[in-house]
Amino acid sequence: MPLRRRLRWLTPYLFLIPGGLWLIVFFVVPMFVMASVSLQEGSLDTGYTLTWNFGVYGEVVNEYLPQFGRSVLYALIVTALTLLFGYPLAYTIAFRGGRFKNILLLVVILPFFTAFIIRTLSWKLILADNGFVLGFLKELSLLDPAFHVLASPIAVVSGLTYNFLPFMVLPVYVALEKIDPHLVEAATDLYASRTQAFLRVTLPLSMAGVFAGSLLVFIPAVGDFINADILGSRDTTMIGNVIQRLFLNTNAYPEAAALGFVLMASVLVLVAIYARVVGAKELTAG
Amino acid sequence: MTEFYARLRALAALMVVLALVVSCGIAGQSPTPAPTSPPAATPTQAATGTPTSTGTSAPTETPTEGPTEAPTPTTEPTPLPTPAGQVIFGNWPYYIDVDEDTGANPTLDQFEAQTGIDVTYLEVIADNSEFFGKIQPDLAAGHSTGYDVIAPSDWLVARLIRLGYLQPLDKSQLPNWQANAQEVLRDPWYDPGNVYSIPWQAGIVGIAYNERLTGRPITTFDDLLDPAFAGRSGLFSEMIDTMSMTLLSLGVKPEDATAEDVQAAHDKLLGPAQAGQFRDFYDNSYYDALAVGDLAITMAWSGDVSQMQLYDNPDVKFVIPDTGGLLFVDNMVIPNGAEHPIDAYKFMDYWYTLDAAVPLTEYIGYFSPVVGVQEQVRLDAQAEREAGHPKYADKLDQVAIDSFPTPEQLANVFNYKNLTEEEERLWNELFNDVLTG
Repeated sequence: MPLRRRLRWLTPYLFLIPGGLWLIVFFVVPMFVMASVSLQEGSLDTGYTLTWNFGVYGEVVNEYLPQFGRSVLYALIVTALTLLFGYPLAYTIAFRGGRFKNILLLVVILPFFTAFIIRTLSWKLILADNGFVLGFLKELSLLDPAFHVLASPIAVVSGLTYNFLPFMVLPVYVALEKIDPHLVEAATDLYASRTQAFLRVTLPLSMAGVFAGSLLVFIPAVGDFINADILGSRDTTMIGNVIQRLFLNTNAYPEAAALGFVLMASVLVLVAIYARVVGAKELTAG
Repeated sequence: MTEFYARLRALAALMVVLALVVSCGIAGQSPTPAPTSPPAATPTQAATGTPTSTGTSAPTETPTEGPTEAPTPTTEPTPLPTPAGQVIFGNWPYYIDVDEDTGANPTLDQFEAQTGIDVTYLEVIADNSEFFGKIQPDLAAGHSTGYDVIAPSDWLVARLIRLGYLQPLDKSQLPNWQANAQEVLRDPWYDPGNVYSIPWQAGIVGIAYNERLTGRPITTFDDLLDPAFAGRSGLFSEMIDTMSMTLLSLGVKPEDATAEDVQAAHDKLLGPAQAGQFRDFYDNSYYDALAVGDLAITMAWSGDVSQMQLYDNPDVKFVIPDTGGLLFVDNMVIPNGAEHPIDAYKFMDYWYTLDAAVPLTEYIGYFSPVVGVQEQVRLDAQAEREAGHPKYADKLDQVAIDSFPTPEQLANVFNYKNLTEEEERLWNELFNDVLTG
């Protein structure tokens, strides 16, 4: 057999090399380094040594459980809110958009042309205690002068929802776009009401988009620290803030690395449960 | 078809070779994350005071000196007459004069005109610990931080010296400092003999309050914990500032604080923090919150309030609490791996001329470390008054007062404690508990 044909099986693997290398260098290697760091003990002055200190995981979970819970709670609320706002938006663009579909999509993505931090800072301006929204309402005596939205959980959740809305809208739009409108027509022909047609035809067919959108919103939202930093207060600290402070401020690298791993593990578990609930089979439908 | 497979084979072979080369290169660098930097290096650097990167940064400035210079680090960097033409300065915000109309920095422009050295001014420090966290990995790995001069505060200078991350200063390159520096700021507790640092500006950590919002004058630290200001009070996110002020409010000098004292400070703050007394723990961003009225009362830096009164919000007042404030000194230092050390010296020395020090202080309102500034600002105030600008003259008079601490102020301000590693860890743990507990 000529050499060329004998080596044909190698070809797909060779194609994997660039992507694989990228993953190894930028994901696998840092993972191992972080795992190693989390098990080390020491300090900047005396240097760090690997002592296989598995106890650090128990310590950090114990210490920061409230922040973990809070982050997961906020992320769940944000996912629900982005679904609540994003699904109708995507539906309208997909089914009623007509000629304006592209423009509408552009408008949805337009905020992303500015940096994440700048968008969050502009929310700080909008929600300012005496800014043009609250200040105006306060002048009309509709609000107590001491009322404030910033430095509260509402501000943080709102900021997160705003920042992650396009991540929900786009996947849901893509899924809805693929649905053949004739299917809905057929359903109504078979004596289904508009609502029933939506619930039993459109919604199940769009679940793949909802699933993808939820993941794209939930996973970054859990680890986010910018919204809580800029719009929040001491009582809204999320686990991202804790990790950032431990790394940058306190230079407690083992604890911070351990927290990072715990966060990753919990998110993986939650996503696995979610995937089970939604049902992997339905994702490949349509 | 056969040609296609031939090309594919060649491409695949090329990629395999590339992959091998890249992975060997990465393995060769053996990425050592900051925490695992060999401990042996840092103690010897600190002991001899001769960071080995003196050898590595020198070649960019000394092309005539061969590689034989590099292996034998000298105690002072060898000076060259011609600077590289660029200097990068990492500083705090609100720490440079600004022309209100054009947004330019007159003192920096003057320096560029006088020396021809281009200044890149970066306001990258909002909090000492955060900034240290950012530059530490580069310093530990021996890389350049990207800055030629930075302005850490006193306690951070002490830590940087301890870790061997700073270049010792060649005083022969700093004639203006030698001639014009204030005596009271020479030979400080954090850098005896000014081996590594010279002061940039100094100030006082105290309390700023908006009289319109508080409704009454503020005199003491406990006013920050007054439930009447719940949700509108602010503390610093920098552990050493907040903890030291709290210790003072308990009657303990920070330099003498014991573990029990720090525990008591933690207990004092924890209750109000959990009850929502503090709107947030701020880095330099307290300035905006205070200026727009989100905060009624907060810990603050004296010069910031001076600027706020002049430019942003005249209702805000600064006071040193009766239990005592803190004297902080921000310093110019040259970190290891600085790429333009000669320009750095020229830059640092420039600030000790009256040409630079007076306009700077007239804008930022902090304590100037340069002799003769206070008198000059008073003279400028008088000149403005005679020229028919009474309001600006009043402002300058106020700045003249702010530009050097009075004996009463000096009597009521204290120094930070020079913390050991163990103490830092304990204080940080307790403070983090206040922040997140």
